[in-house]
Amino acid sequence: MSDTIHIQIDRADGSLQRLIGLVERRGFHIDGMSLSDEGQTRRVQIKVRGRDAGRCMENLGRQIDKLVGATRVSRPVAAFASDYRTEVAA
Amino acid sequence: MTVATAFKDAPATAPQSGARLLVSTLERLGVEVVFGYPGGAIMPVYDALTGSSLKHILVRHEQGAAFAADAWARATGKVGVCMATSGPGATNLITGIANAMMDSVPMVCITGNVSTAVMGTDAFQEIDILGVTLPIVKHSWIVRNPADVPAVIEEAFHIARSGRPGPVLVDLPKDVQVGMTSDPFGFPIPNTVPELDRTAIANAEALIRQSERPLLYVGGGVKIAGATEALRALAERTGIPVVSTLNALGSVRTDAHGYLGMLGMHGTRAANEAVQESDLLIVLGARFDDRATGKLAEFAPLARVVHFDVDPAEVGKLRRTHVPVIGDLKAGIEALNPGPLAIQPWAGRCIENAATHAYRYDAPGEGVYAPALLNELSLQAGDSFIAACDVGQHQMWVAQHCAFTRPEAHLTSGGLGAMGYGLPAGMGAKLAQPDAHVVTVSGDGSFMMNIQELATLRRYGIALKIVLLDNSSLGLVRQWQELFFEQNYSEVDLSDNPDFVVVAQAFGIEAFRVDARDQVSDGIARLLAAPGPCLMHVLIDPKENVWPLVPPGKNNAEMMHGDSRFEGDM
Repeated sequence: MSDTIHIQIDRADGSLQRLIGLVERRGFHIDGMSLSDEGQTRRVQIKVRGRDAGRCMENLGRQIDKLVGATRVSRPVAAFASDYRTEVAA
Repeated sequence: MTVATAFKDAPATAPQSGARLLVSTLERLGVEVVFGYPGGAIMPVYDALTGSSLKHILVRHEQGAAFAADAWARATGKVGVCMATSGPGATNLITGIANAMMDSVPMVCITGNVSTAVMGTDAFQEIDILGVTLPIVKHSWIVRNPADVPAVIEEAFHIARSGRPGPVLVDLPKDVQVGMTSDPFGFPIPNTVPELDRTAIANAEALIRQSERPLLYVGGGVKIAGATEALRALAERTGIPVVSTLNALGSVRTDAHGYLGMLGMHGTRAANEAVQESDLLIVLGARFDDRATGKLAEFAPLARVVHFDVDPAEVGKLRRTHVPVIGDLKAGIEALNPGPLAIQPWAGRCIENAATHAYRYDAPGEGVYAPALLNELSLQAGDSFIAACDVGQHQMWVAQHCAFTRPEAHLTSGGLGAMGYGLPAGMGAKLAQPDAHVVTVSGDGSFMMNIQELATLRRYGIALKIVLLDNSSLGLVRQWQELFFEQNYSEVDLSDNPDFVVVAQAFGIEAFRVDARDQVSDGIARLLAAPGPCLMHVLIDPKENVWPLVPPGKNNAEMMHGDSRFEGDM
């Protein structure tokens, strides 16, 4: 099962390498990728698939959010707060 | 912010080189000490260093510079700085950078590189250090314009210390170091203190009130966030028992009521049993490292999880979290007030268990008993004690047996487990806290990995004390071979070690030997009283093991106790 992540990244030394390296290092295959020029930044679309069932797409997203000069545009950081399942019995 | 404004408002200045701008920016940021080693591609920076207020410590290997900067940062809470030339200088920093990454230590690493025109041509001493270090830095830059130097350095410091800290790398090509500019600009430091999530705090408090067996699982983040006092106050007002990771030792005083010890592979029985029985783990700046959890699927099987962390990616990474509290740990802990709790039966049982299984130091025999020696070392040194550990059995003995009254007292390569950390780390810590009793505790394997830094101690008269526990072997590997590889001892014998007393003396360092138990107390007193650097070479039994031990891949309840001398009644 694959998922597609859209990211806007700065045009800086190593920025693309940093992103791809992170995705692979955190245990995901890259099945497809496209890159487009947006002036000072670049738009990257990556189709990723976990290497095994233990790989969590949400965690990959949060790891990407930590990259300096990279912003997920498919699922903004703020939206992630609602992903946490807060369980408090009444 | 202020820095950027200062630059904008400054009158036009005479042209300056990138190297000079680097030095003046470091000075302006309040950097006191830089650990480094010169070479061809960073010579303009070293040229600019002369006459600077920065104190440069010339190490004898770049790895020593990185480890020393790391320990400086851990001991001061400020950003550590190291620098090296291109190629081999830069690659020699790598283990130190990885170490800082694994333990979230703020560090700025500055490397020279060949000129931009020849980058990518395999020029002499050219290495793509930005590419090489990508997985082990928080961020990195190649500066391509001298005017960018102040902004990049300011941003580098900001990123290194903000949020979850970590190492950053700034690569300065030689033409950028020598290039002149009269138009430097600063970096506007963003103010990004996130709002405290009151709802999450309230949810956490609700879970705590429902819990019958809550437990505080404290990680290195508490110290990093400056939340030590907040944590101690929380433990006090709630009475919830505390277990600590390796990197958090000292965050709660090791003699505090309710403190159960370190959890995990070499943790205490009381800590591991409490985790397995707990119905609510309150995780504070910890990351469920496998050395702490053992077999993850069987870790704290009855517990729900409240997780406080500044790094959202740590929440839910390995263990499902019921209530995440993302943000500044200090603010979060201070705000947490669940009110009176009816947990006395549980807390009392935990504390009783800790007392029952307290370590004992009355082992039979005449030989030096390392756990007892380390316990006495910490007690003799008192509140100003700082242990800078190497990696191996001695590291675990320090964690188990030393008394710590503050988190800065325990510097250890926790995540990376890098042998060779101890000596340069002790050096960095002693420079950071010159009045403290800083003691490097090393083993005969680890010590040889950065032994060259004895020359640095001598050169600067750094009064670091060294306890070298010598079992003539790679003890922890030997222990695992004994227990898990059918006593097939492979490449662990170091019985042809040099005479470490003579080696130290050859470097101009005072040194003496302790080889019997009745010499230990006087030896420690002599070591701590020595006015300059001093090494105490201690011969210990090569067959001594670290107990208790959770075998790798097992759950924390399956502790092995190979030697009853190490624990009380079981």
